[in-house]
Amino acid sequence: MIMSEPASIADSNTPNGMLEGDLVKRARRGDLNAYDELVQRYQQRIYATIYHMTANHEDANDLAQDSFIKAFQALKSFRGGSSFYTWIYRIAVNKTINFLKQRKHKHHFSLNDLDFNTENNPDLVALISDKTPHREVGLAELQEKLNEALMKLSEPHRMVVVLHDVQGQSHDEIAEIMDCNIGTVRSRLFYARQQLQGYLAEYAKPA
Amino acid sequence: MNQKEHNFEDLKRLLKLKQHEVPPPGYFNDFSGHVVSRIRAGEAGGSRSFMERLETDAPWVVNFLRIFETRPGVIGGLATSLCLLLVLVVVFSERSEKASRELLTISDPAATSATVTSMTAPTLAAASDSSGIVASTNPVTSLQPVATLFGQPAAGSLFQPAGFAPASH
Repeated sequence: MIMSEPASIADSNTPNGMLEGDLVKRARRGDLNAYDELVQRYQQRIYATIYHMTANHEDANDLAQDSFIKAFQALKSFRGGSSFYTWIYRIAVNKTINFLKQRKHKHHFSLNDLDFNTENNPDLVALISDKTPHREVGLAELQEKLNEALMKLSEPHRMVVVLHDVQGQSHDEIAEIMDCNIGTVRSRLFYARQQLQGYLAEYAKPA
Repeated sequence: MNQKEHNFEDLKRLLKLKQHEVPPPGYFNDFSGHVVSRIRAGEAGGSRSFMERLETDAPWVVNFLRIFETRPGVIGGLATSLCLLLVLVVVFSERSEKASRELLTISDPAATSATVTSMTAPTLAAASDSSGIVASTNPVTSLQPVATLFGQPAAGSLFQPAGFAPASH
């Protein structure tokens, strides 16, 4: 299962097939069934973003739940200027960055296991077999090195890499989520990639 | 830029490994249930703190305050400048108070040399010291006729001429 795939939004009157806007309206009136549906739609992406930022499953779980609870509390102030999806993302991102600033220099990894599809990912197979000088390197070791390298980045730089290169969000979406302009997103992404390439020189050499 | 983009291809492939990190099986089955039960349990609603409300209603304020958290030097500098400002305000207010007191003394010739030549009111006479300085700052009741707008004394009004010679006791 790849956690960054967008959820499909069906159009019908059933609670799990309603349009996002209708669900939001119902949730604003206090309908928890509607809100439950909204949570289910975005839980994987919100959790994944926070998890990739914290590299800790327990922290990601707490922060993701807190983000959804906070969003429900603030639903009345949601004016629909952006999509609910962007809005909840913004809440989660702010909450995560705030959390990471408070626990600065106290990284404690609690990494999730790699799924069974990992070894079949052609990109990773190619990377390990062709490019890595240490061919005996295992995926678990690579995972740890990658997370260590990500943790060395500043929160905004890590967030841009996570949202773009891991989650597959566009520059426009990231700019909206992070409340900055596209130029800033691009420059952060470039700088973060440069940094990561330096940290992971053994595994990701420039072509 | 394309060349630079191309250079990151291996890194992008490596980052795809992150997509395969998944939480324990069945984790998302209960996730929304936990959220909703926490909301029902009263963690939501009116128990929101001021800061929490501020964070959602005016995130720019929180971002501004966060600068102080991350850069203690900024809050130190701000506090120092506020203290300096306070000290300056106190010093200047004292100076201006002193200056206005001096100005008041200088600009009041009646208080330094003028003597009311003919005082009829016993209170004024009592208020004068031996050097002729009038201690009281109460306005002297004038017996002079009040001039009209066109310089003519109003009929029936009295005035009392004042001299500027030191009082002789």
